[in-house]
Amino acid sequence: MKVLVAVKRVVDYNVKVRAKADGSDVDLNNVKMAINPFCEIAVEEAVRLKEKGVATEVVVVSIGGKTCQEQIRTALALGADRGIQVEVEGNAEPLVVAKLLKGVVEKEEPQLVILGKQSIDGDNNQTGQMLGALTGMGQGTFASEVVVDGDKVNVTREIDGGLQTVALTLPAIVTTDLRLNEPRYASLPNIMKAKKKPLDVLTPADLGVEVKSHITLLKVEPPAERSAGIKVADVDQLVDKLKNEAKVI
Amino acid sequence: MDFTFTDEQCLFRDAARDFLRGEIKTQRIRESWNTDSGRDTALWRQLAEIGLTGVTVPEAHGGLGLDELDFVQLAQECGYVALPEPLVNCALVAVPLLVAVGDELAAHWLPKVAAGEARVIAGLAQDPLVEDAHVADLLLYGEGGNLYALQPDEYALVRSESVDPSRRLFRVTPNPGVAAVLDGAQAEPLLAAGFERGALGCAAQALGLAQRMLDMSVEYTAQREQFGRPIGSFQAVKHHLADVAVALEYARAPVYRAACSLARGDPRAPLHVAHAKLAACDAASLAATKSIQVHGAMGYTWEVDLHIFMKKAWALAGSWGDAASHKARIAEAVLDDGAPLGAGATF
Repeated sequence: MKVLVAVKRVVDYNVKVRAKADGSDVDLNNVKMAINPFCEIAVEEAVRLKEKGVATEVVVVSIGGKTCQEQIRTALALGADRGIQVEVEGNAEPLVVAKLLKGVVEKEEPQLVILGKQSIDGDNNQTGQMLGALTGMGQGTFASEVVVDGDKVNVTREIDGGLQTVALTLPAIVTTDLRLNEPRYASLPNIMKAKKKPLDVLTPADLGVEVKSHITLLKVEPPAERSAGIKVADVDQLVDKLKNEAKVI
Repeated sequence: MDFTFTDEQCLFRDAARDFLRGEIKTQRIRESWNTDSGRDTALWRQLAEIGLTGVTVPEAHGGLGLDELDFVQLAQECGYVALPEPLVNCALVAVPLLVAVGDELAAHWLPKVAAGEARVIAGLAQDPLVEDAHVADLLLYGEGGNLYALQPDEYALVRSESVDPSRRLFRVTPNPGVAAVLDGAQAEPLLAAGFERGALGCAAQALGLAQRMLDMSVEYTAQREQFGRPIGSFQAVKHHLADVAVALEYARAPVYRAACSLARGDPRAPLHVAHAKLAACDAASLAATKSIQVHGAMGYTWEVDLHIFMKKAWALAGSWGDAASHKARIAEAVLDDGAPLGAGATF
């Protein structure tokens, strides 16, 4: 079974992001970049499926400029077999990414596509669902457990009321939640081996997709600074403030 | 000439950094102080899984076959987290010694080191006390100009206290009748090269420690407020930390040059190592002093983690040659009659 994993290059989760002075976007100058944490969980799940003998090949795909090859190489060091970069300059919106991924799915014909549920930069939580709609594949989103059983995959989903398990017929799409697994660290020997693994570069034209933006970013601004806390005299005053100022009760 | 590290070296550094900063929290270090050995076999296995124990082991024996220049940034990362495990000693001193000794000894132990099944430690007699001798599966011990390869039943240990509770120091006495693996003229160049690598390892760790203390201080002074604003905004505090940053930058280049000289077999390597050890340990010492200063009374407390790094910096300053001995080596190299002077010789 071939597994396709999509990974995105984002600002490292340890970095405190800042808006550009003109508010046009997030400032990415001299900022450490990394694989989106949910995508890293997706890679780990695919590699674990391969280690269990369920998957035969793990292909990792990323959409972006040449720099996203770093994240593909990292995924290869984590255990993926080969990489594909779809070369797109600038920020591609979720619908474009989903269309490009559909092109890669048609080319590679994987049985299982695993994506992060969302990227920590855009927080859109759209690509997996859009890809499901475009390909007509079943989708198991917010997965906290994935079990492949013959021609089906059982996905346990984290939903508001608790857990829900759905059975999907393969080929299918899974998007990962935080508790699906704990990604491993890339080992030094695997980093060396990753350099020799194949990495193909495709263009949107190769996949028959026109990159067109439907969204205009108007403004980026930091959240409002929290004001200092106050001490209340008694419980009555606390309840009064919660009711009339904070309006939470 | 390009002095930057290669992409591969930076990838290795980043991988080691991710692992070490993710796994070696100060709480884990504090917990290790209360155990008998002070060492964590599970952590050693994790280090092996990441490939760190086999970094300098030749590829033929299951390692990566990297050299001092490849390892120097990894040692720096070990310093940044104050790693208690003897990784730097093992990878930078003991493994190259084993490789140089060769034969069956190397063939037997090197694959075990790469696999994380054995800790090989070097203690080369310039220091009367050997760190981590109690967890060594093989101790490469230099005494009286001879090199011994001792297994645990072939020597006696007497523990000595250290200022740093992470360190476990021992006086080593080989059992009577144990034969040296190399002696006299054969052992001398190996012991000398081992000493230089040990001093380089200290210097690289000191860089990491200095950086950690600086980062902690910057973070603290950005949070701690006095007179209505963060204390880091006051010029007097800024200057303290700027002094540390400058000392750190001035130490970084000598450490990398020393690593490069050792990797290339440059005959001036001892001079470069001595310079690196002095500069890096001075930077770490300054970082410790200034960090305590800017932390105020908090800096003295047991609860604040600063002392973990400060004590390790103090301990490293006296390991593998103290400041006086390294200054004497530099003086010998540059002040002796007939010593070459000028560009390429003294700097």
